Amino acid sequence: MADTLTNHVSARGLRAPRFSLRQREAIEAWLFVSPTVVGFLLFFLGPLVAVVYFSLTEWNLLTQQSTFVGIDNYVDALSRNPDFWHVLRNSFVFALGLVPLNMSLALMLALALSRPFRGVVFFRTIFFAPVVTSAVAWAIVWKFLLQGEAGAVNQLLAVVGIDGPNWLREPDWAMVAVIVTRVIKMVGLNMILYIAALQAIPRDYEAAARLEGASNWQIFRMVIWPLLAPTTLVIFVITMIGSFKVFDHIYLMTGGGPENGTLVLAFYIYEQGFKFFNVGYASALAMIMFVIVLALTVVQMILRRRDMQ
Amino acid sequence: MTSLRLQNLKKRFGSTEVIRGVDLAIEDGEFVVFVGPSGCGKSTLLRMISGLEDITEGELYIGDRLINDVQAAQRGVAMVFQSYALYPHLTVKQNMGFGLKVRKVPAEEAERRVMEAAASLKLEALLHRYPRELSGGQRQRVAIGRAIVGHPQVFLFDEPLSNLDAELRVHMRAEIAALHKKLGNTMVYVTHDQIEAMTLADKIVVLRDGVIEQVGTPRELYERPDNLFVAQFIGSPRMNVLLAASVERQLATRGLKIGSAHGIGMRPEHLSVVDAGAGILRGTVMISEYTGAATLLHIELESGETVLVIHNGQNTPRIDDAIGLAIDPENLHFFDGKGEAIRPLQRAA
Ligand SMILES: Nc1ncnc2c1ncn2[C@@H]1O[C@H](COP(=O)(O)OP(=O)(O)O)[C@@H](O)[C@H]1O
Ligand SMILES: [Mg+2]
Repeated sequence: MADTLTNHVSARGLRAPRFSLRQREAIEAWLFVSPTVVGFLLFFLGPLVAVVYFSLTEWNLLTQQSTFVGIDNYVDALSRNPDFWHVLRNSFVFALGLVPLNMSLALMLALALSRPFRGVVFFRTIFFAPVVTSAVAWAIVWKFLLQGEAGAVNQLLAVVGIDGPNWLREPDWAMVAVIVTRVIKMVGLNMILYIAALQAIPRDYEAAARLEGASNWQIFRMVIWPLLAPTTLVIFVITMIGSFKVFDHIYLMTGGGPENGTLVLAFYIYEQGFKFFNVGYASALAMIMFVIVLALTVVQMILRRRDMQ
Repeated sequence: MTSLRLQNLKKRFGSTEVIRGVDLAIEDGEFVVFVGPSGCGKSTLLRMISGLEDITEGELYIGDRLINDVQAAQRGVAMVFQSYALYPHLTVKQNMGFGLKVRKVPAEEAERRVMEAAASLKLEALLHRYPRELSGGQRQRVAIGRAIVGHPQVFLFDEPLSNLDAELRVHMRAEIAALHKKLGNTMVYVTHDQIEAMTLADKIVVLRDGVIEQVGTPRELYERPDNLFVAQFIGSPRMNVLLAASVERQLATRGLKIGSAHGIGMRPEHLSVVDAGAGILRGTVMISEYTGAATLLHIELESGETVLVIHNGQNTPRIDDAIGLAIDPENLHFFDGKGEAIRPLQRAA
């Protein structure tokens, strides 16, 4: 045993290794990260560079003619084309409606469902199930339920004496409808994140506060809510980004209508690119959206870092 | 008056009974320690006193007031948690003042009370730090400070030292004892560590499986345990218990009768090594552990049983030496078949 060990060592020692230990470690490290790096280059950086290039051209998919036009597409979007600002406004209305509604509902559900009680798993499942449901099926079912007179929603409202609007045919109500149905679909995800965060708060924190005379509201306000801040921030940013990227829901429920009332940025990009084949313009719009989302992410990171200190 | 009276207290979680009928009187100003193995219901009993768990059955009095249905915050108790329960987003000062803020105590008075507590615990320099910037011992002190600030009548401690290293534990133990001496409040302290119990308590309550095994001063529990469980729980290393039958003959030669005893207990520190053939036991040294102050000997007896002996003197026997063991008959403990103590006095009578 000892013999073979010394043999082994001396045999190694005689021949100079091809790579130094440090080189070998570097090579191994690159091999380990290579799948991710290749994926990143192929599916993220590559397309990103391509879109930047496209956004500087006037390229018609049908005629396959491409001409370099500089920042013309951006100027188009930001100053010449009134559609863009309308669409951006819609996106913000959608986000500002969806985010607070989603987050407050998620928090309330999480507070109710973070403690074990009989049937808690059932309720968690009920609220989480839409998240993993097909977005297409979801939108189609809701479109059906939200039909004017005959829709189930309006028939239910009629029972309590409310004459519901023709949800998807009136611009403002259509926006309300897509926001609410989207919230119902996605709220379960934020609920789970909040439940996880709530469960990570030691039970003694609440016990100590209660013993010192704190009410439920004071415990929430002074202990729970501040401790949830990092989670709230993450949820805020991912929900915000998600609402800017909303597409399938709009596509299936309203097609951006009525009267462009639900025409949001992601859907507008799709229309420009694949319906009207203005690939250059669509690419410029995509870059603008990318910058908005990037800005939100950076803000989040700065806030988080400040929060850590 | 802050005496406590527990009358037939019971606690059930669903169908499992965790506290199974506890009767106990705690005097004003007394330092009472609940001790017992993990899971025996110490924390649950403490939380029932605090009001954090409600009482399934029985009555709980603080002073003369029945407080079964009084809210936790109205009971005049403060609790120090094993986890310290300090809020990570608040400074030391804010943590200590939390209860006062919640109760809307005027800012000036709150400030005064926090500073007072901080001074008595030497925390002034740490007031603006966050809990994560403190050492374990400092956190412990802040948790105690937080309890003091509320001027409670009764302090409850749930294993407050178990997250500290051994040295700090000894130090904080002394600080808690000093605190009790200074404040004079009634204190109820939970631990699974019998040394902590022995050193701190005026009165120890030994719990097992939700019932009290024995209540008494540390000396009473050590010298006159009521049963095998207490006998072996209190004292370290634990008491040797031999089958009475295997030592009957040797005891008889010294004029001792085992009577109805089933087991005979001898503490390792009461056994002394003598020449083989002398003493009441005879055996062989199997293991010898030198710890500096003493040597812990593992002796295999002729009967095949093993006993531990703390040997203090010179002439430490070697491994495989045949030796005898002697003990003062006063230090023998007799237990019946159910593990209940048979008192020498009772036998004499
Ligand atoms: N909220 C609860 N629900 C159900 N069982 C519990 C609960 N709290 C404690 N128990 C059980 O009660 C017993 C006593 O627990 P505890 O009082 O924490 O013991 P100790 O503090 O002595 O270690 C344990 O068996 C524990 O599992
Ligand atoms: Mg416990």
